[in-house]
Amino acid sequence: MDQPLLRGAGLTKIYGNLVALNGADITIMPGEVRALIGSNGAGKSTLIKLLTGAVSPTLGTVEIEGETVPLGDPREMIRRGVACIYQHSNLAPAMSVLDNIFLGRQPTGPLGVVNVKQQRREAEALLARHGIDLDLNAAVASLPTVKQKEVEIMKALALDARVILMDEPTGWLAASEVAKLHTTIRALKARGVGVVYISHILDEIFAVCDTITIMRDGRVIAERQVADIDRARVVHLMVGEKLARESEQASQHKRRPRGLGDIRMSARSLGKRGVFSDVSFDLYAGEILCITGLIGSKRTELLRTLFGSDRFDSGTLEIEGKAVSFATPRRAIASGIGFVPEDRHREGLLLDLSVAENLAMASLSRFRTGILLRGKRMMEAARRMIDALSIQPPEPNRPVRLLSGGNQQKALLGKWLNLSPRIIILDEPTVGVDVGAKAEIYTILRRERDRGAAVLVVSSDLEEVMTVADRIGVMVSGTLTSLHDADATDIQQIIREMGGAVT
Amino acid sequence: MSVAQEAALPRLMRRIGPNALPIAIIVLVIVFAIAQPAFLKPDNLIGIVRQVALIGIMATCTTFVVMTGGVDLSVGPVLAMGGLVAYFVLAAGMSLPIVILAGAATGFAIGLVNGAIIAFLGLPPIIVTLATLSIVRGSALIVGGTDQHLINDWPEYSFIGSGNVLGLPFSIYIFAFVALVMIFIQRRTPLGLLVAAIGDNERAAYLSGHRTRITKMLVYGISGFGAALAGIIQTSQVHTAIAIYGPFGTELDVIAAVVLGGTSIMGGKGSVARTLLGVFFLGIVNDGMNILNVSVDIQLIAKGAVIVVALALASWER
Repeated sequence: MDQPLLRGAGLTKIYGNLVALNGADITIMPGEVRALIGSNGAGKSTLIKLLTGAVSPTLGTVEIEGETVPLGDPREMIRRGVACIYQHSNLAPAMSVLDNIFLGRQPTGPLGVVNVKQQRREAEALLARHGIDLDLNAAVASLPTVKQKEVEIMKALALDARVILMDEPTGWLAASEVAKLHTTIRALKARGVGVVYISHILDEIFAVCDTITIMRDGRVIAERQVADIDRARVVHLMVGEKLARESEQASQHKRRPRGLGDIRMSARSLGKRGVFSDVSFDLYAGEILCITGLIGSKRTELLRTLFGSDRFDSGTLEIEGKAVSFATPRRAIASGIGFVPEDRHREGLLLDLSVAENLAMASLSRFRTGILLRGKRMMEAARRMIDALSIQPPEPNRPVRLLSGGNQQKALLGKWLNLSPRIIILDEPTVGVDVGAKAEIYTILRRERDRGAAVLVVSSDLEEVMTVADRIGVMVSGTLTSLHDADATDIQQIIREMGGAVT
Repeated sequence: MSVAQEAALPRLMRRIGPNALPIAIIVLVIVFAIAQPAFLKPDNLIGIVRQVALIGIMATCTTFVVMTGGVDLSVGPVLAMGGLVAYFVLAAGMSLPIVILAGAATGFAIGLVNGAIIAFLGLPPIIVTLATLSIVRGSALIVGGTDQHLINDWPEYSFIGSGNVLGLPFSIYIFAFVALVMIFIQRRTPLGLLVAAIGDNERAAYLSGHRTRITKMLVYGISGFGAALAGIIQTSQVHTAIAIYGPFGTELDVIAAVVLGGTSIMGGKGSVARTLLGVFFLGIVNDGMNILNVSVDIQLIAKGAVIVVALALASWER
């Protein structure tokens, strides 16, 4: 057997009390494409940071072609041929492809003048050797996203990279572009380059990878040949046995599929070109409908169009029997919809403003007489809401920035509850929230449901889905593929369907 | 320095930070009073307020712009334009309320255009208002030519800038009124809260159902209004309307006052009341240096240095 290009052993990284990575091993052979997969917080990014030299490990070693290398020095890792392509572009968009490939280390002649001819010769040779077709004169910004990824790959190869780490490289690509990128990866593989392919999208992993490393809770849980494992098993290993068990116990709360029986929101063949298509569902008053799926299944994009922060371009949406297509969130709110976005810092909260101000933000008209803002009334309402949601500490004047994640999320929820919305849409309502606050948020959601609100939750957290859902929908690659009464399905079936299995 | 002392220093700075500006004002007053006792004479103190009234009106009216994360560089030419429009409407024989309304509405309209371009086309405020700075100055020169338009025969109009009420210049009352209204809007109306919300997180405000773009337009409108109002007062004070009022540097004084008052140039938290402190701080620095006969070149350098030092202190606070 060949010598591995790269071998990491016992890699461990501890930040304070947090063990981000716990004794991870990883090996990359020449011409191997290895998938690295795991849920958020599983330790993937820490592992990548160690391999690129961005951070140094607490314990563990890395050998490159048999030689132990000093860690924690990005320049050293690049010199040894380890390159990383990040999800977000690192290119200079206004400069040409050629300049980008050699950015910062152009071959120079005497007097430090860039040797343009030599630079072009080297680049052309490189393109020919790897069978990549790129216009060296084109400005990077003028290229489609997939070509930009190729420029990044060329940039890595110009550094004689032997191992290329790709962090969710298809995050910004359309389906046809993904196939092109995979062709490029196969060409690299044929030249003996090793690739680490980080992705949440199982289709891609099964299309292009040879081996798979599955991580969970900072550990490497399994290493397999892709040929020897199926999707369900991968997902199962990713989420863990414990979750499967817990979900069994969660169904003590009485589920109410289709709640009170009247339809609040009805989507028929909803679509947005190139994003999602053929999404149909009914959301009933007094139920919690959870839509789950893998990251990249376009659930967030769907929610945006329901709330009017984006438009759908085909199909129909009805709110209580009336066809709508909201141009702005303001319209959606006027129709009785509240929306808790996934990224509470970027889209939800006003971090420097107070809890009271945040709670009032969606219902300012209630705290207004003429042009006057009724500070006192706002404060009283805030106290009531803080009480009802047990937001800690119970200080309406505290800047939201100073609250814990769970309390921030409760404040964000409270903003909408102030309006007593008829429909509440939540995107990943418990991301970055501790266990205690999670339970509280579930209680709040059930309370809203029992009040008669229609609750639509998008969640990747299967434990959450099995806990709160009255009905469960599964979205795969932009299509809602199935809808179940929560009592009539189980976590195994949902996992299979998330991976694309047909029921 | 011991570890304890090292820790104590930032803590002290943090405590001083929020009060740095009032403290600096007091220190300046003491220094100037010692150097030149005439500084404390009522006439001089009233003079300071009268001097800062124009910058003060503009700064309080543009504080909201800065709070939303924007900036309005076009205040100088808008000032000139407001004065010119008022002059021509006056010369056309219109009554005083219409004259003032026309001048101020011109500024408001220019501000709305600024705001519309910034909010609906998503262009950077610094570029947009830099462009309108040039456009409005050019337009003012077309409207007013290079002539000085004398305003001598309208005592009512002259009263705006030169009249006295209860021993104080009338312009001070206008300044006080504008400042109070702006403070009121900021603290007691939904608009004030919305402005802070947009500066903090425009996307979140939009997703909470607010008309963030209309609000931004309005905010630039208010800024333009303030500049034009200052222009009306200035033409009335000096009995002349001319297209080159509000020269280069006016916008610096205005923005400096806002930022010295602690409003973050990145948007978010800010306060009209504290902008007033910034206005008075700059006014006192100017006046003190005049009294001490510091030459103009040195004054400019000193003013710039003072602004940098004050901002450095403010950033230390964070």
